[in-house]
Amino acid sequence: MRVQSAFIAVVLFFLAVLAFFCVFAPNFATASNFEDLMAGFSFIAILAIGESFPILLRGIDLSVGATLALAGMVAFDLTLMFDVPGYVAIPITLAVATLCGAVNGALIVKLRLQPFIATLSTLAAYRGLVYAISGRQLVPELSTTPLSDPWIMGLDTYFDIGSATGLSSLIELPWVPLSFFIMIATLVVFGVMLGRTRFGRDIYTVGGNAEAARLAGINVGRTIIIAYAICGFCAGLGALLMIARLSTTTESLGMGMEMSAIAAAVIGGVSLSGGIGGLAGPVIGTFLLGMVLIGLTLLGISQFVQQILTGVILLIAVGHDRFLAVRRQKRLAANLAEEA
Amino acid sequence: MSALSPNIATRLAPHALTIAIAAFVVVFSVIEPAFLTPDNLVGIFRQVAMVGIMATCMTFVIMTGGIDLSVGPVLALSGVVSFFAMEAGYPLPLVLAAGLAAGVLVGLLNGAVIAFLGLPPIIVTLAMLSIVRGSALLLGGPDLHGIRDQPGFTFIGTGSIAGIPFSIYLFVAVSLLVVFLQKMTPIGICVAAIGENERAAFLSGHRTRITKMSLYAISAFGAALAGIIQSSQVHTASATYGEFGTELDVIASVVLGGTSLMGGNGSVARTVLGVMFLGIMNNGMNILNVSIDIQLIAKGAIIALALALAERG
Repeated sequence: MRVQSAFIAVVLFFLAVLAFFCVFAPNFATASNFEDLMAGFSFIAILAIGESFPILLRGIDLSVGATLALAGMVAFDLTLMFDVPGYVAIPITLAVATLCGAVNGALIVKLRLQPFIATLSTLAAYRGLVYAISGRQLVPELSTTPLSDPWIMGLDTYFDIGSATGLSSLIELPWVPLSFFIMIATLVVFGVMLGRTRFGRDIYTVGGNAEAARLAGINVGRTIIIAYAICGFCAGLGALLMIARLSTTTESLGMGMEMSAIAAAVIGGVSLSGGIGGLAGPVIGTFLLGMVLIGLTLLGISQFVQQILTGVILLIAVGHDRFLAVRRQKRLAANLAEEA
Repeated sequence: MSALSPNIATRLAPHALTIAIAAFVVVFSVIEPAFLTPDNLVGIFRQVAMVGIMATCMTFVIMTGGIDLSVGPVLALSGVVSFFAMEAGYPLPLVLAAGLAAGVLVGLLNGAVIAFLGLPPIIVTLAMLSIVRGSALLLGGPDLHGIRDQPGFTFIGTGSIAGIPFSIYLFVAVSLLVVFLQKMTPIGICVAAIGENERAAFLSGHRTRITKMSLYAISAFGAALAGIIQSSQVHTASATYGEFGTELDVIASVVLGGTSLMGGNGSVARTVLGVMFLGIMNNGMNILNVSIDIQLIAKGAIIALALALAERG
């Protein structure tokens, strides 16, 4: 019930903002602009999908930015320092990122740390590891060498859907970046996992009430570790797309990006109180934020005002979430009163 | 013996942080005697003064189960506001009042939204982080503003009395003040009550909402004061100060001091210990020439380990 109303609200808000910018922002409703939007925000949407899993469990993952940097550096080192071909480097990178996430989960489950603390300490630790293994510092001349591996650079491909389908004779369509399709694939895979499998049900149950879940025979610890591992995996995927787009990486890659991911998830209706929300919301939330940033830039509004508005949108989203929760509680109370 | 050891462990647990600090001091001084020189010890206090002020002021917020992620931009905002007040030619007391008031205003706003609308503190202060940073940049732009010919203002961060930097006096004064608030005034009791069970505190007549709002104002006050010290120390004000990560250092100090993020338990005095612990670790590793990567990894490992042990204790 609440999932739907929060999701519908964000979709409506998304459409309203889209319509507003199409009408008022010059050059917003152009093919190249939508191409930028898709290329620039698909990987953040993937991070938001990943971040939704810890949040669904009433947790949080502050380390996604650091995990992303670590994964990016692993791919950089493997391809440039050790000349490992991309089809080997990509799985290794994803495995490292998944492991980072699993370590977060293990710290939370085995050491009983609060998610905020566990991922705060791994935020520092993973960022430290990035500096430690940085190929840019170990082999100085590499810092100016762009990535050239065809497999990794191939992630930064664009498809001319318009010409392929013949639609471009009617209307100019944006070239769709591969990262957008990867994002959609991630959404579908994890969305099915969350909505159609036992593991997905376990996530909602544990997020709703961990003790009840344990008593119902759900392996709570395993569920938590897998959820954080998925978040790590998504950060790894985001890292690959990002370094392909930049054709290099830096030690400070993804600094502060966890905040965008968390904001997108919350705007997309994933409740911080756990157990409520889906994955399509966070994706729409990401593109909503992206659209606002790009739209305001085209309107010539200062980048600083954009930061302010991003904060305001976040407040509106969480305020709306709260409003729905209060209304639901009142209805419940009214129903109970009627029955009595 | 086996019957005795858990007993010892239980007794030692509350002093674990003090023991850890002592142990690290011994280790660092043995490896590098320069660690124990008066200059270096004063240096440690001076380095932790800003984070220390922010951490003691944020302890109450965390004790109520809240959090304040917006301290970094508030630090920047207060520096920039003070700068403009100085440019306008106001006397020093007004300059400081303006800087601190800007911060407290943000804190009151945080607190009002959290306490009266019931929104989650982590998201409200995250949004405020973005809003305040944007406002500070709008006000001051991304440039550094040089502060010249302001001996009074410069004294705050760089002056010293009897060989001890003034910022250390400020740190000590703020810590004592907040400890006083916790131990000697009704605020301390109300904070503990809210942290234990907010609903019960409300029903037993505590003014929970007003109190919560003031706590966020206290936290922001600490950040604003730190902002003034920072601008004074480096002779510049900039909207980019207090960069991302400041709030995490502050929160780590509070949590190392044994305050639970779930609320309830906590003590301002122990936050000071947490601050000192992180300060000594940083200073010691710098003196031993430990590289930044190992420092970051060690910091993460220590936070995780310390809190995991505290959980067992």
